[in-house]
Amino acid sequence: MENVEKKIREEAKKLLADKKVDVVIGYERGTLPLTATPCFITDENDADKLVYDATCVQNLAKYVHDIISAHREAQKKVKPEDKKKKVVGIVARGCTSRSLVIQLQERQYGRDDIVIIGVPCEGYIDSKKIAAVTAGEEILDGTIAGGQVAVKTAGGEKKLALNDVLADNCLTCRFNNPVISDIMTGDPAPAKDADKEYEKVEAFEKLSTEERWNYFVKEMGKCIRCYACRNACPSCYCKICFVEQSMPQFVGLSADQTDTQVFQLLRTFHMVGRCVDCGSCISVCPMGVDLRNFLKKLDKDALELFENRAGAKMEDVPPLSTYRENDKEDFIYNP
Amino acid sequence: MAEVTATDGWEPKIVAIVCNWCTYAGADLAGISRIQYPPNVRIVRLPCTGRINPFYVMKALHEGADGVLVSGCHPGECHYLTGNYSARRKFAMLKRYLSYIGLEPDRTIFTWCSASEGERFAKVIKGVTEKVKALGPAKKLVKTL
Repeated sequence: MENVEKKIREEAKKLLADKKVDVVIGYERGTLPLTATPCFITDENDADKLVYDATCVQNLAKYVHDIISAHREAQKKVKPEDKKKKVVGIVARGCTSRSLVIQLQERQYGRDDIVIIGVPCEGYIDSKKIAAVTAGEEILDGTIAGGQVAVKTAGGEKKLALNDVLADNCLTCRFNNPVISDIMTGDPAPAKDADKEYEKVEAFEKLSTEERWNYFVKEMGKCIRCYACRNACPSCYCKICFVEQSMPQFVGLSADQTDTQVFQLLRTFHMVGRCVDCGSCISVCPMGVDLRNFLKKLDKDALELFENRAGAKMEDVPPLSTYRENDKEDFIYNP
Repeated sequence: MAEVTATDGWEPKIVAIVCNWCTYAGADLAGISRIQYPPNVRIVRLPCTGRINPFYVMKALHEGADGVLVSGCHPGECHYLTGNYSARRKFAMLKRYLSYIGLEPDRTIFTWCSASEGERFAKVIKGVTEKVKALGPAKKLVKTL
């Protein structure tokens, strides 16, 4: 990982110096131990701030869309002869690159608007798993080395195996190397346990209707509708989200539990063929709602019905914007 | 709709979202042919099943419909050529997803019914009404506040 970090800095510096990109989106050290935060490098001398390790959590594709659409909006007020192009460089691991593919497939920007610095990924740390081990005590210091995480709290120091604190989606990740990249840093990362990808969903499917419903109600009961999941999701980029829409108003804003349930239902259903299982929504959720259980189901169905994995290939067509004449029809009612 | 609760005389309320060109005409034919079918269904006409946002189905359930029926032209017979093919994909996903979260699968029903199938339309409505009646009033996802 050390080498990858060095390579990212070098490449970012080169891209900025050669004026090939206007900004590089990457991660820098966070203010708290064992955290990294997204950063935007516009000056080549700042490129040394960039880091890359298991503390880099957020999917950066979100910011690519934000920056490019804000730039386009600003360019509307510029005279045609003064119009400028903005090229964004991005540090992208597997899931980030898949999100970029989705945004490209959905024609949000052109391939020449972005420069992808691909990084191999071995998974990121789930802070909730660490909090469970330290029983919520404040982390004073933390280091990651050699497959181990050392966490220092007021109560003493603990050593944890990195694999035990990796996020669930990382443990069964199928795409831990970028699917598209312009510059690749480092050798491809070793494969993860991708065969167990749908294990939890399959177990959940076997439960009775009532058990499933009760779980759904329990999980959605935690949701406080802060919309952090939506704001962190690289596939949630509508200018006006259905949540804020009032004509028609799809979902109410009352304290009624079903409003929250319907909100989550609608948001997750928007992710058909678009969720890359990057875990950003889960990592930002302050209440720890188990969104993955539901998002993964959509992923599984899209694979079963339409042989589609979201953002896996540039040539793919989003599953709901195409069809086959012989698509499965077993759900159709015939009296 | 939501305030109707289970009593002895409970009758389900079913929202049928249908396409203008086939099922709506089919319903018309059923009427013209004087075929009897249960009056539990409220028909919403849209240009095409491809026009139906899956949100409409969830919204109907949220607002207290006991069942939702979506019906359009048979595959290959769409007035707009491919609208119902895309609809089929959306609803295949939706039906599975709603069942997965623990909604009764029979609350959301999808079918095809052409303009000449007045009899089939009546049969579908009969069948759907029976299915929903067997389930009882909707409680899940129904807004009460």
